[in-house]
Amino acid sequence: MPTTLPSTCSSPRAARRGRGVIRSLLFAPAGLIRSLLFASAGLALTAPVASSAVPKRIIALTPYSANTMTLLGVKPIAVGQVSSGEGSVYSAALNTVPRLPLSHPSGPNLEQLTTLKADFVFSSQAWARGKKGMERIGLRVAEREPRTVSEVPRQTKRIASILGRSAQGAKLAKAQEAQIKAATKGIKKHPKVLVVLGVGNSPYAFLENSWGGDVVKRAGGTLITAGLKASGGFARISDEAVVARNPDVIIAVPHGAPGDIKKIAAQMRDRPGWRTTNAARTRRIYVSTSNTLLQPISGAGTTIAGVRKILGN
Amino acid sequence: MRSRHSLVLAAGLAVLVLSFLASLAFGAVALPIKEVARALAGGDVSGQVHEIAVGLRLPRTASAAAVGAALAVAGVLLQGALANPLASPDVIGVTGGAGFGATLILLAFPDQAPLVPLGALIFGLVAAGIVLTLGSAGPRGGSIERVVLAGIAIAALFGAATTSLMVAYPDRVSSAIGFLAGGLVSDGWSSLETSGPYLAAGFVGAVLLARPLDRLSLGDDLAASLGTSPRRTRLLAGIAAAALAAAAASIAGLLGFLGLIVPHLVRLAAGTATHRFLIPACAIVGAAVLLLGDTLARTVVAPIELPVGPLMVVLGVPWFLWLLRKTA
Amino acid sequence: MTAAHLLKAEGVRVEIAGLEIVEHADLELTAGRILAIVGPNGAGKSTLARALVGLQGAAGGSIAWAGKPLGKWRRRELARTRAFVPQRAPVSAGLTTRDAVAMGRAPHLGALQRPTAKDAAIVERAIARSGVEHLAERSLATLSGGELQRVRLAVALAQETPAIVLDEPTASLDLGAAAEMGRLLHDLAAEGLAVLVVVHDLALAAAIADEVVIVDRGRTVAHGEPADVLTSERLLETWGAAATLDIRRGATVFEVDWLASGARPEGAASTEGGLA
Repeated sequence: MPTTLPSTCSSPRAARRGRGVIRSLLFAPAGLIRSLLFASAGLALTAPVASSAVPKRIIALTPYSANTMTLLGVKPIAVGQVSSGEGSVYSAALNTVPRLPLSHPSGPNLEQLTTLKADFVFSSQAWARGKKGMERIGLRVAEREPRTVSEVPRQTKRIASILGRSAQGAKLAKAQEAQIKAATKGIKKHPKVLVVLGVGNSPYAFLENSWGGDVVKRAGGTLITAGLKASGGFARISDEAVVARNPDVIIAVPHGAPGDIKKIAAQMRDRPGWRTTNAARTRRIYVSTSNTLLQPISGAGTTIAGVRKILGN
Repeated sequence: MRSRHSLVLAAGLAVLVLSFLASLAFGAVALPIKEVARALAGGDVSGQVHEIAVGLRLPRTASAAAVGAALAVAGVLLQGALANPLASPDVIGVTGGAGFGATLILLAFPDQAPLVPLGALIFGLVAAGIVLTLGSAGPRGGSIERVVLAGIAIAALFGAATTSLMVAYPDRVSSAIGFLAGGLVSDGWSSLETSGPYLAAGFVGAVLLARPLDRLSLGDDLAASLGTSPRRTRLLAGIAAAALAAAAASIAGLLGFLGLIVPHLVRLAAGTATHRFLIPACAIVGAAVLLLGDTLARTVVAPIELPVGPLMVVLGVPWFLWLLRKTA
Repeated sequence: MTAAHLLKAEGVRVEIAGLEIVEHADLELTAGRILAIVGPNGAGKSTLARALVGLQGAAGGSIAWAGKPLGKWRRRELARTRAFVPQRAPVSAGLTTRDAVAMGRAPHLGALQRPTAKDAAIVERAIARSGVEHLAERSLATLSGGELQRVRLAVALAQETPAIVLDEPTASLDLGAAAEMGRLLHDLAAEGLAVLVVVHDLALAAAIADEVVIVDRGRTVAHGEPADVLTSERLLETWGAAATLDIRRGATVFEVDWLASGARPEGAASTEGGLA
């Protein structure tokens, strides 16, 4: 901004007018060029992709969408790489499918994505920042990731409708509902549970509005963070509260390939505050090596059943 | 002038005592103050009350007081040694180094998490060591510009290394956020034990450096005329500040800004002041400020804990600016 | 060594960043006398003074205080023998005049030793002698250049050293204050102090100094009583100025032909020509 301008003008208002003129002179052509560029780009790129067409070459960034597609008989041309628990996350049918490295916060590399000649991407909230970029290179993007257990069959149906396989989708969703029902049947005990993410002295606790929190609830656990809300579904929780609410079970999710699991569990057992809890005294501190509490894998039934076993239900 | 100093010291001490008591009395779990007092006195209380009062609150309160005092004293030492009111532990690379040390362990070696305080301490000292060595080597060595430039370069280097770690292990970043944001944790006495000797050495050094730093504020020539080596005084002040700031970081993560703000707060309140006054006054006020901040961070939205670093910045900066405007 | 020779310097050479600022300097400082170092701008006067008090390392020659080579002195011990009053120093807002002068006692106090009533009395005397009593409670940041110069002198006086070295003590003083400074230095010498003063004001130097050393292009070129050394020929040769100094003890008449063209050889106006 030309700061000397006001002194050459007779009044502040004139100065403002002067600056306004300069600004429009400076920016109008640039704006014009920009809008021209985008208009042509939009024409070139959006025309061939009719929004209702059934996509053919699909990339699935999340295990849930990849597995669901596969169950519906459509194989993705690439899936997102996950750093750990790889074997347990993708179904065996996807073993030969190329893995796409993902990086926070945008997800896949756009240049790499271009070479795959895909027309559709199943993404998730986690890669929301990358959505615009993917759309700009002509991809259609849908975020189809259940955030609660009850959302699983619903999202399955929506994936199926995108793939043009609604009938199969309805069937699969029904099966998933049945699995969830079976996995949550006959729960008697409701132990108090603390689920934490990360290692070190300031781990985050899972809240009710996180995927893992919902799974634990469905498996009969009572989260000691019940009633707390935070936007991401995680919050740092006071150790005093851990003492007072006294969890019977603690589940740690180190996230990412952890080192020595036993060591991490032992560290949690010896933490001041935590050491007096029922969980530490009865040695019911578990370290989850897979990512199943961080994101859905397919139907939620198996995950719930696994947690039930830990909770002694 | 002297009575104003006494007033500031007395007020600081009163706030320190009150905030120390508040930190013990309040927390995420509401306990009757009598119970807490009984637990601290070694009386007969339930296991839960004992664990909260003695196992969690007492060490955390002691840590907050020690860290607050250490950072404020580190700041005043550096501001005096570098004759620059903008100096803080960030300037000699301690903050960058400690952040890298902690992040390295939390992200690359998660099963070694108990070594975080040690890693932060060692890398904080290493970074400061590089800065002070580079800054005092060569013919123009020991000059303020050299130390500050070396500090900026090393801080950038370690900052980049920390960022690279976070990029390499994106899914584990959550473990490191707490440390990088700065905040006390309830890990009992262990990190205070690791860092205790460095804190002690730093505080003793600060007391011994108070007069040489005052002489330095008369200019290097007058200081040298009075038998004080400006170069050696700067180096020693840098070492003491590094020990204090690295120890503080190892306990409470990156709270470096306390070291910048508290000395100014004391100067604004006390007016003209020598280091003989500033160093103890900053220790008292720094401890009080962090105790208050941490008590708030633990209780405002309990049982969720807020990171005390950002909380204090948000609450403290407007107040500080108001004070600055009022006294300017 | 005789007690009278407080400082003896021979063949002193000083280099700064590879440049030889002082090539060869000899001088002696005696108790009870004022020695003035004079010379044109850039001759190396201040650098020489800083080397003599140990603030600047010497590349050659010998400097001895009270018969002991400079390098063998411990800092605090040396600070009880000589005090240095720099021409300029950064101003700290954090100190009052009294805070600053009290630091003059540092070489006499242990690291954590508290100043005694005697120390306090010495500080008050130094403040009074430098004429800054009325500024005692003021922050240094509020003082003028001339006032600061007197505060720096007070610091040196509080050091109670047998020798005092001043770099351009009258540089920021007006005529009256400069005369006052001259009187003070004269009185200090009369009390037995050895006073070494770097000064560019020849009239003042001639008036108060017992001896004058002329430094030209890094070398001490003349040494003696003012009247013997500051001759018209010397003024023309060293300063390139047509001038006459009429010197009586305590008063000088300086007659300068301001418009006469300088007769100094080309390229010798400063040391830079010889060093490039």
